[in-house]
Amino acid sequence: MKIDETKSGDVVVIEISGRLDTTNYQELETKLAGILDRKETNILLDIRKLEYVSSSGLRILLMYLKKIKALQGRLMLCSMSPEIREIFEISGFINIFEVYEDRAKALEA
Amino acid sequence: MMENLVLHIPNKIEALHSLHRSLSELGRAWKLNKDVQMNTELVLEEIVSNIIFYAFEDEEEHIIEISIERVDNEMIIRITDDGKPFDITAAESLHDASKPAEEREMGGLGVYFVKTLMDKIAYLRVDGRNILTLYKNIKHKA
Repeated sequence: MKIDETKSGDVVVIEISGRLDTTNYQELETKLAGILDRKETNILLDIRKLEYVSSSGLRILLMYLKKIKALQGRLMLCSMSPEIREIFEISGFINIFEVYEDRAKALEA
Repeated sequence: MMENLVLHIPNKIEALHSLHRSLSELGRAWKLNKDVQMNTELVLEEIVSNIIFYAFEDEEEHIIEISIERVDNEMIIRITDDGKPFDITAAESLHDASKPAEEREMGGLGVYFVKTLMDKIAYLRVDGRNILTLYKNIKHKA
């Protein structure tokens, strides 16, 4: 997995590439924890290049969604592949996250 | 054409990498649809990581056997371990896909995936071993 961070206005954009699974979900957790430590609470996860996500990865997303909501922030997702979308639909996660078609639409929202 | 796959992996979390490589190879050989491929990986990662994290109380190395075969349009996956008894078919899935984020439990998602993404699951405890068999239809959708 590769995690790249950029900034667009007041939104921290995190691009996740590769596989997010039991062997590496802690890297994403560390990244998100670091962002919250800096008091930044508007985060967009661009998952266009995410190839696979397991329940460990989804658990981290849920944990941080809860934390960020409690801080009145936003955790958005964009550019899901159909296969990743299916996992979000089956788990019901599609209904609890703000999901946008692409990065531009998410940043406008 | 690869007709079946048998893997013996140690109870180490790094072993998930070799499981992933083998499943990718099998997916290509069997021309599995992307969603079937991902669902199978998800379920196997869940089951195998559960075994690695919770099945063993000693510090010894244990081998988890995974066999995957195809019978007509059905993929049959069998996972065998010598850990303590665990019947996932009887495990409660705490996950509720209809709840709002704030009310979601962290646990139970893996069990939910196993039960939802496979067509049928069967558990047996034989001679001190857990034998879990999963069935998935892999016929290509038109």
